[in-house]
Parts: sequence; structure tokens; C-alpha cells
Amino acid sequence: MERSIRKLFWFFTVLFLALIAQLSYLQVWAAPELRTHANNTRAVESEMRVERGSVVSSDGVLLAGNRKEGVYFLRDYPVGDLVSPWLGYSSLRYGRSGLERAYNLELAGETDALVVRSYIDLLTGRPHRGADLVLTIDSRVQRAAVEALGGAPGAVVALDPRTGAVLAMTSSPRFDPRTLDEDWASLIEDESRPLVDRAVQGLYPPGSVFKLVVAAAGLEEGVVTPGTMFEDEGSWLAGGYRVSNNDGKVFGEHDFAEALTRSINTTFAKVGVDLGADTLARYAAGFGIGSALSWRLGGAAGSFPAPAGLDTAHVAQASFGQGEVLVTPLQMALITAGIANGGTVMVPYLVAEVRDYSQIVLEKTGPTRASSPISEATAGEVRDMMVQVVERGTGTAAAISGVEVAGKTGTAQVEGGESHAWFVGFAPADDPTIVVAVLVEHGGSGGGTAAPIARAVLRAGLER
Amino acid sequence: MTSRSKELLFLLPAMLLTTIGFAIVFVRQAEAFELISLAPGAAFLGLFGLLHVVRRLVVPAADPYLLPITALLSSLGILMIYRVEPRLAAQQAVWLVVGSVAFVIVLVGLRRFERLLEYKYLIGLGGIALLVLTMVAGREVYGARLWIRVGPVGFQPPEFAKLFLVVFFAAYLDQVREMLTVSTRRFLGVALPPLRHLGPLITIWGLSLALMIFLKDLGTSLLFFGTLLALIYVATGRFFYVVVGAGLFAGGASVLYRIFPHVQLRVGIWLDPWQDPLGRGYQLVQSLFAFAAGGLFGRGLGEGYLHLASGSTIIPALETDFIFSAIGEELGLVGAVAIVLLYLVFVQRGLRVAVRSHDDFARLLATGLTAVFGLQAFLILGGVTKLIPLTGITLPFVSYGGSSIVSNFCLLALLLAVSERAAGGAPRDAAGRAALEAGVRTGTAAQDRPGRAAGARTGSA
Repeated sequence: MERSIRKLFWFFTVLFLALIAQLSYLQVWAAPELRTHANNTRAVESEMRVERGSVVSSDGVLLAGNRKEGVYFLRDYPVGDLVSPWLGYSSLRYGRSGLERAYNLELAGETDALVVRSYIDLLTGRPHRGADLVLTIDSRVQRAAVEALGGAPGAVVALDPRTGAVLAMTSSPRFDPRTLDEDWASLIEDESRPLVDRAVQGLYPPGSVFKLVVAAAGLEEGVVTPGTMFEDEGSWLAGGYRVSNNDGKVFGEHDFAEALTRSINTTFAKVGVDLGADTLARYAAGFGIGSALSWRLGGAAGSFPAPAGLDTAHVAQASFGQGEVLVTPLQMALITAGIANGGTVMVPYLVAEVRDYSQIVLEKTGPTRASSPISEATAGEVRDMMVQVVERGTGTAAAISGVEVAGKTGTAQVEGGESHAWFVGFAPADDPTIVVAVLVEHGGSGGGTAAPIARAVLRAGLER
Repeated sequence: MTSRSKELLFLLPAMLLTTIGFAIVFVRQAEAFELISLAPGAAFLGLFGLLHVVRRLVVPAADPYLLPITALLSSLGILMIYRVEPRLAAQQAVWLVVGSVAFVIVLVGLRRFERLLEYKYLIGLGGIALLVLTMVAGREVYGARLWIRVGPVGFQPPEFAKLFLVVFFAAYLDQVREMLTVSTRRFLGVALPPLRHLGPLITIWGLSLALMIFLKDLGTSLLFFGTLLALIYVATGRFFYVVVGAGLFAGGASVLYRIFPHVQLRVGIWLDPWQDPLGRGYQLVQSLFAFAAGGLFGRGLGEGYLHLASGSTIIPALETDFIFSAIGEELGLVGAVAIVLLYLVFVQRGLRVAVRSHDDFARLLATGLTAVFGLQAFLILGGVTKLIPLTGITLPFVSYGGSSIVSNFCLLALLLAVSERAAGGAPRDAAGRAALEAGVRTGTAAQDRPGRAAGARTGSA
């Protein structure tokens, strides 16, 4: 009997050793795979235990923070939808978008820059926290942009042309991140697409604001000077395509500066055809059209048609921003900023600093040059012409008393609908501190709809 | 050091674990250390200190490791239950006290455990009656019919039936052992015992299958059957019975597998829980995630992810059947293996009691009690780790539940009583008794317990 009992013990030993083997398999060998399994919600849970970094505007307004419920931190957006198009959301159910996604490693406290901090936290027993983001956004300019755009579908972008720092950026319609989970079903169904950030993702024909690129190219290439004389008869035939002015106006004899002031299509078609498809394409690329933005927020690259496929008719069309030219509002703001900044386009940035919770700066973004498509002299000439646009041309609605404003209107024709209204501009014209680009979808004339919005944003920017 | 002091020494880890564990969990919740954080440890110290004193007085020579292992397991259990739901931990504390009272009663009342022999059929019938009661009056929880209500208290008769049946098996086998080992007929070259002595085996086989049918309780039927096989093996020393028994069970089970969808379901989930990870496989899949989350060292006491935002536990039945998953998550592989080894040590000590016992009934009783305890632990530990198909059954001393706690305390008391006799009591069997009466050391007794004077009684037993 004793022998049988001993054997029974060995049987139990085998059973329990099998258990230990299975435990080792689960907890060590298969653990990495199990932890990242699609049905495993524990990853989300562990993130909820870490206080996610806050997002603060340059003037110290909290844009995203947390509220604590039990041991969990829930994301809170005190300013509601003010910055939602690009700040995005961090939802347990629907994931992340915008900055919340682009800077998730920093915000969740998992970036390499926080390794030392995490270690110190571990040693001192302090709860680990995500890193904070300090933005370039100025809440006052942002609020002015949001209020000026109102409920109209469209986008506004404001930059500091000297650095590329984004001062304000908005898109309409947009979503409220505080009620995202409840609104989700209707948000994704909504045909006005409130989840799309029109400022960086929306592609639009630029219309007459693209004349700035043509003017810069013409002046830089020496094809024209501001004083070069042109004759307008209301329309011009280019390769079988009839170019005509807005509202069928006839301007008669005028110089090139006047052509920009009055936004004369026939003259720009002539200059564009003179430059040729290759040169136009080169300048469009030089100003950044067709390249993805080198920032983490991503966005559409825009497009200028391949020169090989462009006949005279299409070149003429492209010269006043119609046809197959497509840009985002942010790109238009950057092109304008290039002119305002003496011919040098800066890389845009939205996040000025990443800081840990004791305010130690982990990462700092400074001004970076993107390209210099034109000389300072050419930029000066274009700027002077743009001042005329606001003083006595199509953009007078953007004028601010006591400040010289430079600008350009655009009224981009859309098939089967009202035109898109554009305005791009900057102030003060002689030493620009703010550039703005406004797009209102199907808003009608740029000078009528977009210019007043731009004026409000420029004013807020100058007062900051 | 005397074995008594050894026990007191080994009780210390359990006390420390309870004290420090509760303090950690409390501090994590309150974010401040308060003196109240030490209260559970103090209460636990008091309770097991008392049990130690009782044991010292009643069964002074009994195994000194069993009570500390129990203390460790139940302290870890109540700590994890507190993590799941503080209200349940308070109830569990009450059950521990009730269990301790039952422990004392059984220990004092059954010091002369051989009296059980006289009532073996009554006990066997009692065990079956408990099961029948469950069939008739039981309510279904998680697809198994295990509970009956007695006033406000839920009661799980199978937990007690297992004790009754172990005592009956041991007593019955003690009686028919000789006849089972003497084969009278041969069939296909295999020696067969007289059929009438196989009666109980067949009866229990039928009973286990009936359990599966009526109670839908795979775990308990497997437990009963496994324990019976272990006992028959130890009683006869013939592996042949194990093969036949296992074959019978497998045959019956495979028929039931075909007939009953819930059996197929359990096995299907075990084979591939990922087929329906949000539905039928959810509980097991979440258990595996919990173990994976724990990793080598665990997430730390109080750090596990046990609850959903709604407050309910992620793993259903976390405080009972799946308590080990929570331990695996918070204490990691290190803690989980420690638990497994504690059970193995318990089994080792229990079987050591069996080996050292002087008579067959004591041996069989100790073996049965140990086997049912170890097998129950293995079935649920294996189930929640996907080593074997999951069967709903409690983890002894750790899971939440009054019936489980009280019945296992009774089991422990009985085992200690047998242990006391093994260490110092008189041999009961005929040869030993004769030897005692003659005052002569017989060869049998000396062979049984080499190196120790048989019949040298110590203590007051």
C-alpha cells in the first residue's frame, strides 16, 4: 500500500508540474502575443491608468486635459469643438485622430524622451504621467477664426510667416470631442463630413489665388515686370479654349500689377502660356504643391498636373487656378507666407514644445526653412501688387485701418454649384507677422465672403 | 525545534502576507497609510493563532505543515476576494470563522476517527442524499446545478458530499480490500476479482455519470471518480483497476459527449476558445489575458485589471472559480507557481500521513482526503489555465464560498486527526492490537514504521 501511495504522489507531482509548465507558457512564452491580441482590452485599460499629457495653447489655455474617475483618467476637452479638427480625439472606443494620434507616444508617456523620467518615477514611486504639448496656436486668434468662419463650410489657417508657426487653424463643420462616442454614428454618416479637417485634408481648386504663383514665376523668370502692359478684350483664345474674365468684364489696357489687382484672367493666361507648362509646374512644386507636409499631422499633398499632359488650353486654365490644380487651405497659407517672408517658405509646425510634468522641455520645434522658390526682390514685387488688391482691388473688404494689408481674392468655379470663395493675405505688408488663408466652400466671391473673415483673423493676430 | 513550534513559525509567512497584502491594497486605495490597514492581518493572526493552540492541545503530534499551508492559501484568498469585492471579503472572513469552528468540532469530535467505520453505510447514503438533494432542489448557476438555498444562505451540497463519499470509499475499501486483491477468475488472461465486490465501483461510476447528466457538473463528477480511482489503486495496488475504471469513465463520458451539448461546449471552448472570444470563449480568453498581463512578476497587489468601468468583474466568477486568474495577474508567474507548489506540498504532507499510518482505514482515509483535495485544486487550476477543459469547481481555501471553506476545514481537521494517530496513536489493526496486548513488537508493526517503536503512545490520544 505504501508503494501505491508513493506512486500516487508522483502522479500528483506530474499533474502539478504540467500546471507549472502551462503557467510558464502563458505568462512568459505566449504573453507578448496574448497582451497584444485584438480582443484584449487590457492595453486600453493600462493607458487609462496613466495621466495623459495635457495640450495647452501658446497663451496658456488648456485645450485637452483629464478628469479622474476612480483610478482612471478620462480625456477632457474644456474648449469643446474650438480646436477639434486638428487636435482630434482620444476615444477608448474609436481610437485617436489629429494631434492626439500624431503625438500619442508623448501624450501617453511612452516616448523614448521620457525613459529617464519614467525610471525616476519608478524609483520615487510617483505616478507616471504623459508629456504635455505646448502649441503655437494662439487661442485668441483661433477663436477669432472660428467665430469669423461661423457655420459656413470651409477652413481658415493663420501662420507666422517668419517661422511657420501655426497661429490658428479651423475647419467647419466639425465635431465636439466631448460627445464623440454618442455622436459617432451620425458623424460618420454625415455627408458634410465633420470628421475631415478641411484645412489640411480638403483639396480645392485655388482659382485666382493661384495667380500669386504665376505672378511670382513670371517676375522671377523675367517674363514680365509689374509695369508690363497688357490689353484685355474680355476674352482670349488659348489653344482653342476661350479664357474669359469673371462676370464678363472688359478691362482694356492695363499693366501687370493692375492685372493682379483686378484679377484679370486673360492676362494671367497669357503670362502662364508664355512661361509654359514646365516652368509653371516647377514653381508650383517650389511652393510645395504636390509634396506631403513634413509634419506629423499629415495632410493632403495637393496637385499640379504633369507638364507632359498639358496643352496650351490647359496651361491657360491652370494659370488662373482652374482645371486640374488642387490645393489645401494650409498649402495656400504657406505659399502666401513664402511671399510674405521674402521668398522663403517655412515648414509649418503646431507643437512648439513637448514638456514632462515638471516642465522640463523634452523636445522643442523651431523655425525650419522648407524652400526658397523666389528671390527676395520678386517677393517684394508680388507683395506690393497684393497691397494694391486690398487698397483698391477685389480685396478691399480685408482692409484694416492703420495697417497695410496685402492680399489676393479667389473665386474658384466649381462644376454644378456656387464658386468656392478664397482669400489669402498678410499684415503688416512691410513686415508681416501673420498670414491668413480663408476658404468658404460654395461661398460665392472671394472678395465678398472670404475677405471679411480674413480681416477679422488678421486683426486678432495683430492685436495679440 | 518541536513540530509544534515549527507550525507557529510556519504560520508567520501567512500572517505577514495578510498584514502586508491588505496594507498594500488599502494604501493603494486610500493613498495613505492608516492603522486600520493592519487590522485584517491582526484578525488573521488571532484566528490562526487560536487554531494553532487548539491543534496543539487536541492533536499535538499531527503534521505541522498543513495548518500553515491552509493559512497561507486562505489569507491569499481573502486578499484577492477583497480586491474583487470588499463586501465579499467580509463574508469570507465570516466563513473562515465558521470554518474554524467546524475545524475545532471535527477535530475534537473525531479524534477517534475509526468510529466512522461503524457508520460507513450511513455516511455513504448521506453523501448520495446530498447529491440527490442538489438534483432536486438545486438552482443553476453558470450552467451547473450546484446550489440549494437554506434560508438566506446558499449551500453547495457537493462540497460536503465529497467528504462523505471519501470516508465511505475508504471504509468500504478497507473492508473489501483483501477480496479485491484475491482474483478468483481469469478473463482473457487477466485476473478478475469477484464481481460482487466491484459493485461500489460500478455504482460510483453510474453516480458520476448521473451527476454529469442531472447536475451538468463535470468538475464534481470528475473529482469523485478520480478520487475513487486513486483509492482503489492504493487499496489494491493494482493498476488494472485504474485502467478499467478510467476506461469505463471515458466510455460513459464519450457517450454523454455525443448526447449533451453542454459537454461538447466545454470541450469545444477548451480546444479553441478563440473561435468565439467575445461569446462562449470569453471567460477563458479573459483568464488567459489575465495570466499574460501578469507576466513573470505580476502587476502587483492591487494593480490588476479586474473590473470593467461598470464595476462588474471582467472575468465572470472571478471570486470563485477564477480566483487563480486574478492571482496570476497580480502576483505573476512567481506567485502562481508558489500557489501550485503550496498545493503540491499539501498533497505531499497528506500522503505522508497516509504512508505513516498504522492501519488500512487510516491510510485510505488520508489518501482519499488528500486526493480529493489535490485533484480539486488541479481540476480548477488546470481549467482556468486551459491545460484541461474547464469545470466549475472551487479552489480549496482560496475561492470565495462558505461551503467550500467549511468543508475544506473539516477535511483538514480529519486529516490532522489521522496524522496525530500516525505520529503517536496506537495501531488499530488486528496484528498491531494483538502486539500491543502482548506487549511485544511484532514484525509487521516494525516493518510498517521502521525506526520507531510501534505502540509507543505519546500524548493523551
